[in-house]
Amino acid sequence: MGGPTGPPPFPLVSFVMTDTPVLDIRGVGKAFPNVRALSNLSFDVRRGEVMAFVGENGAGKSTLLKILSGDYQLDEGSVLLDGQEVSHASPLAARRAGFRLVRQEPEIVPHVSAAENIFVGELPQRGGVVDFRQLRADARALLVECGFDGLLDLDAQGDSFSPAQRHIVEIARALKPGVKVIAFDEPTSSLTADETERLFALIRKLRDRGLAVIYVTHRLHEVMAISDRIVILRDGRLIGVKETTATTPDEVVRMMVGRDLSYGFSRTETTRDEVVLDVRGLKSRWHRDISFQIRAGEILGFAGLVGAGRTELAKVIFGEYHRSAGEIRIAGKPAHIRTPSDAIRASIGFAPEDRKGEGLILVRSVMENASMAVFSTLARWGVLRNRMMVDTVEPLIKSLEIKTPSLEQEVGKLSGGNQQKVVLARWLAAKPKVLILDEPTRAVDVGAKAEIYRLIDSLAKSGIAIMLISSEMPELLALADRIVVMHGGRISAPIEKRDASEEAILNHALGQRAA
Amino acid sequence: MTNMSSSSIQPSSSNNPLKAITRFVGAENLSLIIALVLLVALIASQTPFFFAPRNLMNIGMNLSVVGLLGVGMTIVIVSGALDISVGSIAGVASVVSAMLVTYAGTVLGGVAVGVLAGAILGVVNAAIITYLRVNAVVATLATLSAYRGLAFLIAPEGRPIGVLDQNFAWLGSGRILEGGGFPGIPVSLILLIIIAAIGHFVMSSTVFGRAVYSMGGNPAAARLAGINLNRMKFYIFTISGALAGLAGVLVTARTSSGQPASGTQGLELEAITAVFLGGAILAGGKGTIVGTMLAVVLLATLSNGMNLLGIPTFYQLVAKGFLLVVAVAIGQWRMARAEKTQARAAAATGS
Repeated sequence: MGGPTGPPPFPLVSFVMTDTPVLDIRGVGKAFPNVRALSNLSFDVRRGEVMAFVGENGAGKSTLLKILSGDYQLDEGSVLLDGQEVSHASPLAARRAGFRLVRQEPEIVPHVSAAENIFVGELPQRGGVVDFRQLRADARALLVECGFDGLLDLDAQGDSFSPAQRHIVEIARALKPGVKVIAFDEPTSSLTADETERLFALIRKLRDRGLAVIYVTHRLHEVMAISDRIVILRDGRLIGVKETTATTPDEVVRMMVGRDLSYGFSRTETTRDEVVLDVRGLKSRWHRDISFQIRAGEILGFAGLVGAGRTELAKVIFGEYHRSAGEIRIAGKPAHIRTPSDAIRASIGFAPEDRKGEGLILVRSVMENASMAVFSTLARWGVLRNRMMVDTVEPLIKSLEIKTPSLEQEVGKLSGGNQQKVVLARWLAAKPKVLILDEPTRAVDVGAKAEIYRLIDSLAKSGIAIMLISSEMPELLALADRIVVMHGGRISAPIEKRDASEEAILNHALGQRAA
Repeated sequence: MTNMSSSSIQPSSSNNPLKAITRFVGAENLSLIIALVLLVALIASQTPFFFAPRNLMNIGMNLSVVGLLGVGMTIVIVSGALDISVGSIAGVASVVSAMLVTYAGTVLGGVAVGVLAGAILGVVNAAIITYLRVNAVVATLATLSAYRGLAFLIAPEGRPIGVLDQNFAWLGSGRILEGGGFPGIPVSLILLIIIAAIGHFVMSSTVFGRAVYSMGGNPAAARLAGINLNRMKFYIFTISGALAGLAGVLVTARTSSGQPASGTQGLELEAITAVFLGGAILAGGKGTIVGTMLAVVLLATLSNGMNLLGIPTFYQLVAKGFLLVVAVAIGQWRMARAEKTQARAAAATGS
């Protein structure tokens, strides 16, 4: 790769279709200290099929992917790729052998172009000098062939990419010569509906050309739509391999959780009169004239495409970003919010989307993370009262059913769902009137999701006004009393629950019926 | 979620006495104690003078200046920053305190003005960092030079100022409980112990201390939890400056002269080395006063041992630089190990 002439225009080779497995996983086991991550896993993946891996967090999907990609070494069993033993391959060797992983959070070089990002480490060169013309031509050809043309400016700098564009770069990187198996790890979490469609088209194209595609996601409807077979994992064990056409989402969920679980969720009806959060004529860098109201006990859903400015709206209201115009009233009184601490004083709580980056101090304890927003109320003369901290946090741990060995446990060592609950506990401790939840179930597994839904429901019932930002339509439809759709710096008129449907929301989101 | 049973994440229960001790002292601190014991054994096996009461007393006296700086530096580094200007701040404080004592004849005034001068220079650091948004390392690198120049400018003709006041000298070289072969406990060491105890209490038990750990661990999250980062930086650099000022006062009292440069140059390096050796990491969020104090003792012992064994100063300078690299490398190694275990835990629980 990256020889004097550069890679061929489009590297995907059509294989002769056979039913022979290209990836053969035999009795694979892996243990970590105190945890058995995988035990005796055996199945195969064939050429020309899309194989979905499903399972709750902790089921072993990520561990398995990392063994295939060479990030982890297996303890037992073997992995054959196209007949070649790759059980103990390094990441580079796994890539050379033909396994490519499209990571959930791609590494992007911030200050170089998209084209260079795609060919990082294998830039076409002539006598040691980078051949930029060849590079652009190759990158363009690759994007066109993938069906991603028009979504990514090849000259754009890495740090300007949207999450979707980061993903496009990562996918293009994987589709270099020699690819036999390509694995997607939660590829659609940052993609819009349109981009997801393009990705699915690409996946079908890859499959038809004889590649084996592995698709890992929490989103069952995608699994049903794109996969040919489904591998169901639970607690590191293989529960079953199903033909997609011969199963139902309910059956798959049952196999994943090992128990019956109502996938739908119905919210208890509560509506109160008094308006708690009243935003009038808000303007900022991202927003043009936004006004809405949330009543006590109400959940107002915010739909929209990724990048529509919903997270930014939350941060403007919370005082993290600058508001150039407009008024925010809490329970009728104007709130002067210029910093997050002003917002907290005005009884607003905010659970950010990026839990690890903005929500939690991973190296500190559950107790500290849960009590951070109310430190000053738990202290006398600036000295923290341990007793008061415990008295505040312990009941929350119990009522939120946070699974932690102790209050002193480092938050970074909890599972995703429990981490999210610690963020919620922090704001419950502050007894807010308004709670802003940005993607509250991102990277949370099915079982914990249902628990968090129940929790949000009971918070609303207790009279908190909730602003719920979510990119998962079923989540919005299940939880929100009304839904507004953000597009182009504005929001639509609220859609009442009874009128809300995925179609109605999508039309607004795409600006086809912008109010 | 389903299988996050507590046994899988909790370290195996500790009926093992060694583990109980480890938890009490902290694993990192335990390794410091072991290193200290080994070092003492090595030095004592080479020279009989090490355990002489007078020598031990000297070590105690020598470490108090770096110790004071270490307390402030721990707070700064835990918050995720670095203050390289402390040595120069101590130089300014040394000069102004000497001038007050000599020309105004007030010992208390000399101490107060030295500390105050340090605090003011700390505020200037904070202002540069927050208002001008200059990275803390660059800002204090600039003031490292500027404050050193300031010390020379303040001192008449840029020369050291002699201090004859005996009460003032007592602060630096006085001892209590002296007599009967016992060389006494240095007053400066007692001062350090008091300050370190206060520092430990502040860092472990106050709202301020917890906020310092939070902002070092994750500034974005700390801000969104309502912590005013800029105000915190003002507090932190002011404290660091004030403690550097106090250290400068001690230098004056020890040497009986206000020194613009000698006696305070290079102190920042020793303080920073001690904090990293004591278990802090450059990224912030980790580190303790206890760890730093153990490291200060370790460094002072090493320095004393090298003197006793007649190792020339030039070699000692090289050794000090080497130690800083070792200290940070150990920290990096620890972090990589922690990340690995965390990655494993994450992998074991899914995404």
